[in-house]
Amino acid sequence: MSDTENQRDFLETDDDFKESPFTDTVSDAREEFKCDASDKGETTSLTMTRKRPESKSSTESEESSQGKDKDTDAGQKDRPSENYQGGWGYWGNWGKSLITSATATVATVGQGISHVIEKAESSLGIPSPTDMSGELKKEETVDVLSTAGDAANDKSSSNTSHIGGAIGMFSSLTNVVQSTGKTVLSGGLDALEFIGKKTMDVIAEGDPGFKKTKGLMLRTSTLSEVLREAKEREEQQTSHLVDTDTTRKAHYGMLFDELQGLSHLEALEILSSESAAKVKSVFTTLSGDELAKLKEELELVKKSFSLIEFDEEEEECIDDDGEEFVKEVTAAMAEMKIMVTADKLVQARKRVEDWMSDINTQREEEEKARCITEEIHASAIRSLAELTARAIEQFHKIAELVLHSQEEKDTVLQQAKILSQMTIILCKEVSVLSKKFTSSLTVVGTHEKGDVLNPLITGIFLEASNSASYIQDAFQLLLPVLEISYIQSYMRTA
Amino acid sequence: MATAPYNYSYIFKYIIIGDMGVGKSCLLHQFTEKKFMADCPHTIGVEFGTRIIEVSGQKIKLQIWDTAGQERFRAVTRSYYRGAAGALMVYDITRRSTYNHLSSWLTDARNLTNPNTVIILIGNKADLDAQRDVTYEEAKQFAEENGLLFLEASAKTGENVEDAFLEAAKKIYQNIQDGSLDLNAAESGVQHKPSAPQGGRITNEPQPQREGCGC
Repeated sequence: MSDTENQRDFLETDDDFKESPFTDTVSDAREEFKCDASDKGETTSLTMTRKRPESKSSTESEESSQGKDKDTDAGQKDRPSENYQGGWGYWGNWGKSLITSATATVATVGQGISHVIEKAESSLGIPSPTDMSGELKKEETVDVLSTAGDAANDKSSSNTSHIGGAIGMFSSLTNVVQSTGKTVLSGGLDALEFIGKKTMDVIAEGDPGFKKTKGLMLRTSTLSEVLREAKEREEQQTSHLVDTDTTRKAHYGMLFDELQGLSHLEALEILSSESAAKVKSVFTTLSGDELAKLKEELELVKKSFSLIEFDEEEEECIDDDGEEFVKEVTAAMAEMKIMVTADKLVQARKRVEDWMSDINTQREEEEKARCITEEIHASAIRSLAELTARAIEQFHKIAELVLHSQEEKDTVLQQAKILSQMTIILCKEVSVLSKKFTSSLTVVGTHEKGDVLNPLITGIFLEASNSASYIQDAFQLLLPVLEISYIQSYMRTA
Repeated sequence: MATAPYNYSYIFKYIIIGDMGVGKSCLLHQFTEKKFMADCPHTIGVEFGTRIIEVSGQKIKLQIWDTAGQERFRAVTRSYYRGAAGALMVYDITRRSTYNHLSSWLTDARNLTNPNTVIILIGNKADLDAQRDVTYEEAKQFAEENGLLFLEASAKTGENVEDAFLEAAKKIYQNIQDGSLDLNAAESGVQHKPSAPQGGRITNEPQPQREGCGC
């Protein structure tokens, strides 16, 4: 097939999919939506992973509802539950609806002590304590809520109470996790990451009401919206502070946006939801047997997206200077068979290495050592934001290239595997980096009081955990893209 | 001081479209970095740039989606038009073919954005007047017939580059002021941050009651 033919092919599918399936999706989404909202107990339709599989359907409905909703716009404002417009769609309600829907996840983006407090407030604020089923959990949550509440009340006073709240939250969350029989991995980041990912689900297990809330949350916002919202709040908060350079430097959400991480994510979401819509529309054109066969084959693609297992740290390679990472991502991208390179990721990783060696040089000079804790913290946050932004960009570029390439089915399956591998490599690197930075902090900060050092360390682990989640979320967005690529190859050979 | 860049009251989404090699990425680079990028690689899919500008005393953050001009990416880049408040449609004044393709770009822009999207036609490479292949007058006429803003600019010298982005922003802002652009409408491409502009009182406003009643 020549290029132009492909082109036309693509355009045609585009048009098809604009016509019919859209309206389908609207009613679908609406119905599902009503269902969720109405029957409290019935939550089986919602998948409760942190990987927000729901985001797809939310963007679909967002797309599809745009036409229809023109006339109902005015009414919609009063019904936040129906606000499933996202992306650039629904600015009017900014700061109203999104805040509600986003808080649970958003809170994790927050950074610094007040954010940690916010996290404690919002992640625990959603499930009402009385709804919590287990006695143990109940006690602990109440405990944390009150700590957090106290801390929030006297935000203006000393820092210590904030830290108390934050630490209190983490330890009790750990207990929640343990008490339900889950294993908590050892090691700071693992534990935090694990908790970050699992807490909501664990809480949800004991609380169908919360589960439903979370379902709605996932349905009404895409990851980029959630992150955008979080960044907005950071911006607002910082603009009220007397802004020193450090406070600005160390804001993950703002940095992530400045580095265009949010934009790439938004673009990736667009491609993902359009691909998902195309997959759906292909399904509607197939008869029973054909459809079953195709779906069976697509399971092969899906497999790579569901089997992500992080081995618990084979061996700690803290002394690694990123060489290994650079080698691995470069090799992985070369195997993708689309013209994609890992150059930007590699550059980002090298910059991180430069910062680290800067820190190490400074550390040797006793004099400076005292004031560089903040600096290490800022470098850590910046490194995480930059690496994550470039990882999301990488996935976005891959989506674009996959969508216009015409690969064989086997190649697509291969790509899925590579991408899942890539996700693991990236998350591991995030984890390694956070450990390197925090161990630097610990060494440098031996003379610092715990209440200065701990929040900095906690902050780094938190953002590392978030980074890993965003990378995994972005990876999941690639599934529909690979599916449609697979289907196109399937149709060609059929 | 450092806070200043964050005190904007609007975000406008822009797209830049047009044939390959007309200088879309260079225009963006000139606009955001105030530098000419002589050796610009082909854009894959879309790249991004941001800059904060001021219109009628309001700070506006432009979020610019710089799309790939290569034909093979057309299917992908069409996905990005949605929700653009402004579109820069670029051709190269020294290459007639890039001008001839404008109607196809315009069709896409009209079909894939909303009726209020402000489209500005940019004749780039105005510094190469000796090699001119498209006259100012005919392009001006094309723009008028189609209700587009129009400027000739040069990413190399920087001539009119600021204005290209600013003129579109002014028009969008005007549309907001006279009410023809409804910010609450889906796909307006404009995001208003109610907390930023008026200063002072609003700080607590955007956080309404949500505590405790999540379900």
